[in-house]
Amino acid sequence: MSKTLAFHSYKGGTGKTSLVVNLGALYAKQGANVCLLDYDFRAPSLNVLFKSKPEHWLNDYLEGNCEIGDTLIDQSERFHLPGKLWVGFSNPSLEALKEIMTKDRKWEVKALTRTLAGKKEIIAEKKVDYVIFDTSPGAQYSSINALAGADVVCLVMKADEFDLEGTKELSKGVYDALGRKSGIVLNKIPLEQIAAGGGAEKFGKQIASEVGLPLVGMIPCMCELMAVGGKMIYTLEKPDHTFTRSVAQVAESLKKI
Amino acid sequence: MVADLLRKLNRNMEIVAKKLDRLIEVQRSAGGQVLRPSVPVPENLPLDVTTLLGLPDHLRKSALALASLREATATDLSRETGRVRAVESDYLNQLVSMSLVKKKRKGRDVYFYIET
Repeated sequence: MSKTLAFHSYKGGTGKTSLVVNLGALYAKQGANVCLLDYDFRAPSLNVLFKSKPEHWLNDYLEGNCEIGDTLIDQSERFHLPGKLWVGFSNPSLEALKEIMTKDRKWEVKALTRTLAGKKEIIAEKKVDYVIFDTSPGAQYSSINALAGADVVCLVMKADEFDLEGTKELSKGVYDALGRKSGIVLNKIPLEQIAAGGGAEKFGKQIASEVGLPLVGMIPCMCELMAVGGKMIYTLEKPDHTFTRSVAQVAESLKKI
Repeated sequence: MVADLLRKLNRNMEIVAKKLDRLIEVQRSAGGQVLRPSVPVPENLPLDVTTLLGLPDHLRKSALALASLREATATDLSRETGRVRAVESDYLNQLVSMSLVKKKRKGRDVYFYIET
């Protein structure tokens, strides 16, 4: 039984992309077949990490210029993974970024139907266990299209007031409305904040109850990650690192949702 | 014995459902009030996610399921949503009344689709 996960956030810079890549790689390392889809059309990032320049972008698929399978590149051999790690990239060129901003609502209808159909096709044809969407922050069309296609929505947030208030709004207005199972990952949490909040468990429960969503995992703030962001997949290269262990907890929690 | 009865019941239900579909269509063409949308939605809105989010839960479920199938009969939709066919047919026709979904006939079957 396959599962589609969408990672979303109210604000940018919460660490969605790092989490998505590391989580996807970890599942593939465990033997699962995974497909990552870069739905952050306004700030594409996966192409940087995987150093790929595909013949067809996800933008081309949404336009109707190719099939979803044409956009996917398997990265499993490169990283010596037992499971497949397919990745679909969005076009980072300035032209493509401008193009996506000019789209009207009619085009978005097509994008929604193609997103839902594409996901089904990936699951059926690539025998994928996990489809994982990395989305743009906030209430962008492309993001909500991805959320509509997901079984589980995972909200990645920092524990500051900006994120907290915005996340509550998203939860009420979007996640509840779409009727998707959802949970939060607290990311980049300073250790001092955890200590002041009475320890990890108490602090996590308190934030989860404020947002009104279950806690999927908590990842402490690590300056090292910011320095190497986009250059390394920790779950593959540093299996004993704190970040890897935190991602593994998120991975296990998501399996149970 | 029981299996035969169930198959017969199922066939009869299908016939009733198709007749209901026809009745609904006749009622609509006669300007009946029954299928007026229960929730006011401005005309000529495309069925994008913002429209979807503004729909009541029961219609949103049908619309989302239809978006993933692209084109479907009420029976196809009922398999996807797990609701009974007659209910699904009613919801789909409400979406048609709101101009969010279109329908066409292929032989004896009515297909619903979202125009893109």
